[in-house]
Amino acid sequence: MADAGRTIEDRLREEYFQLLPEIRRVAGQLQSEVNYHLLPIANALETYEQLIVKSRVKECESAVDALRRRQEGASFDDDQVARYSLANLKDLAGVRILVFPRQRIIQVDRALREIFGSWTADPVATEEQVLALKYHGFSAASQLISAEYQIVAI
Amino acid sequence: MEEILLMTSLATKQYLLDSGGYSYNIDRQVYFNRSAKKIFSVDFLEDHEGPEIEQSINEKTDGREWRFYFNSPPPESVKRQVVESLG
Repeated sequence: MADAGRTIEDRLREEYFQLLPEIRRVAGQLQSEVNYHLLPIANALETYEQLIVKSRVKECESAVDALRRRQEGASFDDDQVARYSLANLKDLAGVRILVFPRQRIIQVDRALREIFGSWTADPVATEEQVLALKYHGFSAASQLISAEYQIVAI
Repeated sequence: MEEILLMTSLATKQYLLDSGGYSYNIDRQVYFNRSAKKIFSVDFLEDHEGPEIEQSINEKTDGREWRFYFNSPPPESVKRQVVESLG
């Protein structure tokens, strides 16, 4: 009976906290893999150059809102509860690679494409230029939670 | 060339909506006109060409109930949430 009054958002929040340990594991493993594979580049940086790898886990409300915004009319259908799952989001776990100078981006991108070649490219672009290279896919850490990495110039 | 065509197409659609008196609701990602009682989803606008959008804007309605232009007909609960969010 108590379940009847719960909204789709409530159910998704519950799902989020069920998924959270796995999301954290995916983010942690991806960060470690990226750090490992970029080590040769990191070790060869000049003193003024920078390569920073940061992991992040999408916040609960941000995830629920992102899933809602993906629906037409940015609204959940109250009668289709089973249709929605946060596991459908591609960026629950993510890694951001900050690079300076910009010229290093191509080198970093190539190194990671060798490892994550099957991941889907989804660059962040304006009408004029590409702001960040972005890829999403499944890592060895999970077949349920997909992850994303972005390469951005500082 | 493709990019130029896309930008022209987007600019045309934006012009049609602006000149038709449509406002954007960022929370529900829809364009709406209170007096015409019409609501267009961004998905619909992206997937349909200018002339079809213009036809929809000019389409006569009885003006009593909101008319939704979505790719998939929205269920009643979605219609209710969208209309409520317009205030």
